[in-house]
Amino acid sequence: LWPGRRWFSETVPDASSTLTSPLYPPVVASITAKSKAAKSRRLQRFNQRVHAAATVEEKLRLYGKLQRPKYTVYPQTFALNADRWYQSFTRTVLVAGMPSRAAAAKPPVAAAGATPEAGRAPEPRAEAPVAAKTPEPAAGSAPCLDLGELRSLACDALLQESFYQKKERPFLYRDQDHTPGPFLTQLVSTLAASLSLLNPLLAASSLDLNPEVNYYWQHGEEVVVHGHRKGRVDPVQFQIDDNPHLQIRVPMQLPEVVPLESDLGDVPVIDHKPSKLPLFKKQYENKVFIGSKVADPCCYGHTQFHLLPDKLKRERFIRDRLEDQIEVVYRSNGIASLFAWTAAQAMYQGFWNEADVTRPFVSQAVVTDGKYFAFFCYQLNTLALSAETIKNNPRKNICWGTDSKPLYDVVEDGNVKGFNDEVLLQLVHFLLNRPKEL
Amino acid sequence: VFPGVRQAQWLTKTKLVEGLPPAVQGIVDNPALGLQELEERAKHVVSHARLWDTAEVAPRREQYCPVLFENLIHICRLMSGKYSSLSKRMLARNFRIAVTWERESILLQVRGLSGILMNSMTPIPPVASKEEILATREHVLETFYPIAPTIDLQEVNVYKELNDTGQCFRDGYPYSHPHTLFFLESANIRTDRFRPEQLRAKMLMFAFGNALAKAKALHGNDPKVLEQPIVVQSIGTDGQLFQFMVFQLNTTDLVSSDGIKNLVWIDSDQKLYERAQCVPEVKKRVVTKPAGIFGFQPDTFKKFLALYLHGTV
Repeated sequence: LWPGRRWFSETVPDASSTLTSPLYPPVVASITAKSKAAKSRRLQRFNQRVHAAATVEEKLRLYGKLQRPKYTVYPQTFALNADRWYQSFTRTVLVAGMPSRAAAAKPPVAAAGATPEAGRAPEPRAEAPVAAKTPEPAAGSAPCLDLGELRSLACDALLQESFYQKKERPFLYRDQDHTPGPFLTQLVSTLAASLSLLNPLLAASSLDLNPEVNYYWQHGEEVVVHGHRKGRVDPVQFQIDDNPHLQIRVPMQLPEVVPLESDLGDVPVIDHKPSKLPLFKKQYENKVFIGSKVADPCCYGHTQFHLLPDKLKRERFIRDRLEDQIEVVYRSNGIASLFAWTAAQAMYQGFWNEADVTRPFVSQAVVTDGKYFAFFCYQLNTLALSAETIKNNPRKNICWGTDSKPLYDVVEDGNVKGFNDEVLLQLVHFLLNRPKEL
Repeated sequence: VFPGVRQAQWLTKTKLVEGLPPAVQGIVDNPALGLQELEERAKHVVSHARLWDTAEVAPRREQYCPVLFENLIHICRLMSGKYSSLSKRMLARNFRIAVTWERESILLQVRGLSGILMNSMTPIPPVASKEEILATREHVLETFYPIAPTIDLQEVNVYKELNDTGQCFRDGYPYSHPHTLFFLESANIRTDRFRPEQLRAKMLMFAFGNALAKAKALHGNDPKVLEQPIVVQSIGTDGQLFQFMVFQLNTTDLVSSDGIKNLVWIDSDQKLYERAQCVPEVKKRVVTKPAGIFGFQPDTFKKFLALYLHGTV
């Protein structure tokens, strides 16, 4: 406004320079104020720090840096209807039965009718394409699956642990460590070794005995009830610390069962607080661990084997007139353990709840109490379960599970009576699961 | 006081041969078995056991010794895809042995938890030739005059002479031939662990015990020279050093000190790796020793695998 001022503004201000250098820094919320805007700005800075972390170990360290009281979720639990609660915590859809794999993926089973096939060779050529589909051991293209041999391996393992080897009496309430535990270890190790020819993934696998699997995640929000932070809204944190009896880790990922965005059902919604299950809060280290550290090349999971403890025996449930809860125990164990394992595998690859998975992670589990076996297959489609990220997230995790079936009826005098081939076949198919390239 | 293996030799009437027997050495040197590709896997397995197995910084020996053993056995078992007769093996854990024998009018006994035993359906063929067995007749067992050979042994009143691994396994067990014994020295405190010499003596005693029990089960309790010698192998480790042993029982006539002796081949103190660095060592802001496994010796792993495959290849 003063005429004298024109001396200094003779030069026309450059249009480009005002764009490149703004006169004022950006106006954003403060970092340290006690306001919602400041809280969201702090969260954004934290997310940027985790996104920008150089290595996966650094990311995991930052992800679990802040310790708050969190619910400890136990996969093997006696809580009633725990499988519905666990489904709601992990956003899992439970589908009964196993996913139907393509019949061509199954290796040929050496049927007793091998010789009639060779005898049928002089038949007319028109039937040759059809005959080529059915397994031909005479062709020698792929090694066959000898169910009789595997059955004898399983029976030998069972007989050795329960009958032939003389052991002392089991310790009180430690029946599971006496016979079913060693039997499961023997069975899996011998089956995996004999099937390694058919499945090259098993030949490169790593077998862990009694490993540790941990996962920490946030799901939902709650108001802090008591203490100096009373009234603030905090995310609900969960931690699973699991010890499977046996686990097989592989260097290549299992193929997806259904596409990433598929919707196979609904997740049960529970209106109560998690502490009503009952679940209890504790504050300790937020661990994410699949069984070995990030540097291990076998960083994907194949199959876990869980042994139910004496506290969750079938007889106890029957005695307390809770027969319907027997299957719940198997299901909750399968869902929780597999969610923890697949999610930890995904975190080892650098995904977390702000950076959701771009490919599904698939793992399998067998839950048993020594005689009854239940099979589970889990596909992790999403890790984004925290309150902000779940709003626009249509994906759900999927778990396929079977009911528990007995492998045998009874062991008497060195004979296994009532051996169930279906259970063995399902176990073998689990072990033979491999990516399509192999 | 003095090396335990010499005492064990006198007690079991055994002649010592250094190094592994030629049959096993042949398996180690055989290139057709493809042992080279397994070297990479063996290195991964050692890294897993020593570095990656736990969420803490470094696993302790009680954890990494059994894990290393399990991983090595897993690699060996996966070879059964190639050699189907390998699936005729079964591991027995927490296995108890009880054997007695007389040695120059002293009654001796081996008892106790002998680690992990691997059984097979078929016995191992004898490792030494007939001439070598006959040549042991001239070998004189060294005595330790004036020290009695039963020094440091516990004297116990035995009311029942228990006699065989048939006590541990019932009749009709299909995997009836003891193949290899595994000993893991996994105590954390060094004084709780056996020193290598003592470990070798323990391995010898238990291998002898198992072989003697099998001989008594097959041929009865009379002392005699066996036409078909029984071979039992033994591997002991503390997580880093490995001791390999092949024991051949030629005779159960143990009362006198003359005549045909038993044979044992010992390959001692084989290191699998020099050092396992869990955390990189940094001096004055410069990394002097990066993390990882140093000085990996593939030969030790090849010997482990060769002892495992012995009898089927």
